[in-house]
Amino acid sequence: MSDVSPESGMDRRKFLTVLGASGGGALALSGCSTSRVEKLVPYLVQSEDQIPGVATWYASTCTECAAGCGVHVRTREGRAVKLEGNPEHPVNRGKLCSRGQASLQGLYNPGRVKAPMARGADGRLAEITWDDAIARLAGKLTAAGGKVAVLSGAGRGTFSELLADWTSALGGRLDRWEPFDHEPLRAANRQVFGLDQLPAHDFAGAKYILSFGADFLETWLSPTENQRGFAEAHGFAGGDVAKFVHVGPRRDLTGLNADEWMAVRPGTEAAVALAIANVVAAARGAPAALAGALGNYTPAMAAQETGIPAERIERIAREFAAARPSLAVAGGVGAQHAGATELCAAVNLLNYVAGNVGRTVRFGADLAAGDGFRGLTQLGTAMDDGQVAVLLVHEANPVYALPKAAGFAARLKKVPFKVAISPFLDETAALCDLLLPPHHALERWDDAAPRAGVRSLMQPVMEPVFDTRAAGDILLATAKKAGGALAKFSATTWEAHLRGRWQALAAERKEADADAFWRAALQRGGVFDEPPAPVEVSLAPTAAQVSYTRPAFEGNGAYVFAAYPHAMLHDGRGANKPWLLEVADPVTKITWNSWVEVGPEAARALNVRNGEILRLTSPHGSLEAPAYIHPGLHPDVVAMPLGFGHTEYGAFAQGRGVNALDLLGAPAGEFVAYLSTRVAVEKTGGYRKLASIEGTPRQLGRGIAEAIPLAAARQGLTVAEAYLEEGHGEHEVNTPLEVAALKGWSEKQFQMTRKGDYRRDLPQWGMAIDLARCTGCQACVTACYAENNIPTVGEYDILKGREMTWIRIERYWEGSEAPDAPPSARFVPMLCQHCANAPCEPVCPVYAAYHTADGLNGQVYNRCVGTRYCANNCPYKVRYFNWYKYNEIAWPEPLQLQLNPDVTVRARGVMEKCTFCIQRIRGAQNTARLEDRPIRDGEFTTACAQACPSDAIVFGNIADPDSRVVAIKQNPRGYRVLEDLNTRSAITYLAKVLHPVEG
Amino acid sequence: MMRTLAFVLGGAGAAGLAAVLAFGGSPSAAQQQATPAADSATAPAIIDTGSLKGPRQPIFFRHDIHAGQFKIQCQYCHYSVAVSTEPGIPSMQTCMGCHLVVSGSDSSAKTEIKKVRDAWNAKQPVEWVRVHFLARHAHFPHQRHIKALGPSACTTCHGEVARMPQVFKANNINNMGFCITCHLERKVSRDCSVCHY
Repeated sequence: MSDVSPESGMDRRKFLTVLGASGGGALALSGCSTSRVEKLVPYLVQSEDQIPGVATWYASTCTECAAGCGVHVRTREGRAVKLEGNPEHPVNRGKLCSRGQASLQGLYNPGRVKAPMARGADGRLAEITWDDAIARLAGKLTAAGGKVAVLSGAGRGTFSELLADWTSALGGRLDRWEPFDHEPLRAANRQVFGLDQLPAHDFAGAKYILSFGADFLETWLSPTENQRGFAEAHGFAGGDVAKFVHVGPRRDLTGLNADEWMAVRPGTEAAVALAIANVVAAARGAPAALAGALGNYTPAMAAQETGIPAERIERIAREFAAARPSLAVAGGVGAQHAGATELCAAVNLLNYVAGNVGRTVRFGADLAAGDGFRGLTQLGTAMDDGQVAVLLVHEANPVYALPKAAGFAARLKKVPFKVAISPFLDETAALCDLLLPPHHALERWDDAAPRAGVRSLMQPVMEPVFDTRAAGDILLATAKKAGGALAKFSATTWEAHLRGRWQALAAERKEADADAFWRAALQRGGVFDEPPAPVEVSLAPTAAQVSYTRPAFEGNGAYVFAAYPHAMLHDGRGANKPWLLEVADPVTKITWNSWVEVGPEAARALNVRNGEILRLTSPHGSLEAPAYIHPGLHPDVVAMPLGFGHTEYGAFAQGRGVNALDLLGAPAGEFVAYLSTRVAVEKTGGYRKLASIEGTPRQLGRGIAEAIPLAAARQGLTVAEAYLEEGHGEHEVNTPLEVAALKGWSEKQFQMTRKGDYRRDLPQWGMAIDLARCTGCQACVTACYAENNIPTVGEYDILKGREMTWIRIERYWEGSEAPDAPPSARFVPMLCQHCANAPCEPVCPVYAAYHTADGLNGQVYNRCVGTRYCANNCPYKVRYFNWYKYNEIAWPEPLQLQLNPDVTVRARGVMEKCTFCIQRIRGAQNTARLEDRPIRDGEFTTACAQACPSDAIVFGNIADPDSRVVAIKQNPRGYRVLEDLNTRSAITYLAKVLHPVEG
Repeated sequence: MMRTLAFVLGGAGAAGLAAVLAFGGSPSAAQQQATPAADSATAPAIIDTGSLKGPRQPIFFRHDIHAGQFKIQCQYCHYSVAVSTEPGIPSMQTCMGCHLVVSGSDSSAKTEIKKVRDAWNAKQPVEWVRVHFLARHAHFPHQRHIKALGPSACTTCHGEVARMPQVFKANNINNMGFCITCHLERKVSRDCSVCHY
């Protein structure tokens, strides 16, 4: 890891020219033509930390959400090509979610604003110079006389501090705002514990987890960290599986990972939380202060409110009380209704009486958040009253991310001069008069303080792609130009300001050598102290005021409308990144467009099938989208993902789907209630096929995603033994004689392949995937897209089944669709199984599919003539065909700069599939050979295994008895998918471990 | 892992320069073997450049003078060949390391060297015409071959560059038979996916 900025000795021109010199695989597969003239353009001065063909890594910080994960950025020849988690970073420990990885597509996004722009006399935006832009801003600020407002989406850090000082010097107001800001959670913490902060949650330590609509695997607080902890608690590590019960009207990805689902009526979770708290308090002895507060909330009362039998609530309450420590979480965006604060307060009490506060709920961590929605309301009033002459919007998009009924766009028009510091021309920027494009996080110096004890650094990993500037430099340049009150900002550059702040930090920490401190921090990715001990928490006087109010929803439609965050698109900021659009929604497996979820009962009542277009009408608007029947939805609810329906925000996002916020009313109070209206649902008679990558929604007895009961797993039974134990007879397909004959024949066939190179003592690459840990989050899928130059094919081709996803997560429904026995889901990552006896290999007429001596199922692109026989013969459906010149259309400029130079970009007519990241294998072999040593176990891993936040995927050499993968493969839960086909696949899956079904 | 490799070559330039000074008068045994005829020869004056094989370059850079007559080692300029898949082409700074003082003995050399200096002063890199262009679906790790065959193995594929006034393709490197012949002789892997992925 280097702390040298590539800025030294490297300018934009050199960066571009070097691409021609050593672009590796960035060009398309090109036959053997030698007639083409290609230029070799040397550096003027060679940058010392760049060697052509060798990756340079920089530590940085992800800015895609407020969690503040650490990243390592892989650069080749001066451009970033991949993001991975920083193993030393305390938040994410080397793992990274899909959204974080797709940050790369924000950097190279074709929709980025390429230079400063100003609105001319004709009302159009036209490019201007930076000097002009800064002068205009400075002039307007000087003239505004303190009537300045700043709205920023920046997280906590030096930039936020500078922005606050800068704004207050101008006499203006600053609001830091994130659309998903967890306001109810913070309000509840103030009410119950008197603490205005967000605690950290220790999922790993919990023995029983209750989630009241908190989507902690998707957007809630710190998803990558949550997932790591959840996999630890729920992944049958150490012979135990924490039970996880999901309470809420909809099963999101988090809900589908639950062992039990309490399908409560929308908005009634607090009744369950209070009833459970009541039972737990009775079992444990309630604090005197609460005895009266909880007394009224009996399971019977909760049963009345939620529609869940009282016995079931009581059973879960007793289970929860028996587990120590346990963990209850609430406050997810999808369950954010008007009473969300009550719910969070109830869950706070529940954690308190169960003794979890201080153990699994750790105050003092003080996770970063914005200032909440209240500030935005005040800003709106100020805009209405003409108190804002200049509005500066920095990396926030309220025009899109607030319901239209909030009227932010109309208020914006009342402001005489609007400035956007936004990398993209989003809905808010499009209404502004001056556009100042800032550097992407990978192009600038910056830092972030996502929680107490963590100060994470960012550094420019490459030259800026466009004519942009760091937001800090924009502020400082404007200060210099405007003078006056702003003259006190004396730092010449933003980098100097940041260094100054870190010098002060070094002094605070009594570091002897500030420079050494800075370099060490830069190399490590920041300063990471031991997490602070949990703050001692006591109940606030207002704690006993917990209550439950029966939810009321606007309008009189037949269904309650739930707008929930899309796991990939977040609040909509992901909608301009093709990876996030193509990597399907983990629950529905739908890509590229909006849909409406209806429950099976509602679907029967409406007589609707998948893809039939429904019109939803609320008091505030009406939307149309195709239906998807979601078995995990309460009968009273229809649901729709947020994040689609952009009217600006670049070609990928624009005009794609509908914005679910259009059905919501103007937010009142402290937060946006995403679950607040009723809608009337009617069929329009239209139909649009859902662009889903789902094959068959059920396993149909094929044994693809196996599971065994917890008791059997504890006894060390295999999947087959567990079936027998359960009383299922062994399926008899062939007579014993036939079985023996087939086995002998296949064994003989297999032995015949042990010739030549194949007899040699080479590594045999293999993989183990633990389904007890896999949550179906799809970080592996995005990592694969990034590592292997997989083209995104778009909605039209996905409708034709032409997706190229080398690894996909299959989501199989289990159980019936009867309302009393709601189905559960199993997730299974499906990729090339690298069968030792592969069905695809013998059918290839040109030997393009063949078996390598090191145990890979090879695919030689230049041999392939595209007969597609191999795909026809693959029982796992993991081979993908290039139907079009995706190599020319899938990466519009400058997106092609993200391509991994180590991997061939496949041309039209070529079959492709998972290679077990052969470029990483060959790279490790090259390195090991230079150092005259064998490859060490764990020295490298595949992109999917590297990314997996649950650590469910382990890759290694199965010929090495000491390797980690071999140890895992020997687990009795291990099985191979479609083993009876005698494919001898190299991937062993470990069966999911299930709690017994009760109630 | 690869991320640690980034630093290996920090001082390659200096090491290379030392090599030139050390070996300027007495070529190593390997070099003698690689370029036997060029050992004591002075590169000839070229009058008719039009008759030379290979693509015409923007500057008439003579490998026969640099690598042949002056015996500068290949790796002085192609600095990353022993550690990376890519051999590396010299930065303009590397050229100027010598040509700041060396300005050429005859008029044609003076003309060409002036082009280098002009490019350096104008901060415009020279756009060389690529001679060896391996198809993109084949991966050739230079470092493995240098490791196995030694630092003077360049000639195996690139021919006697030290005797070429203008570099041309001595072998058709895109003919896979050319690779396989050698791999057969040396009994090393012929597995497709060693190179094609």
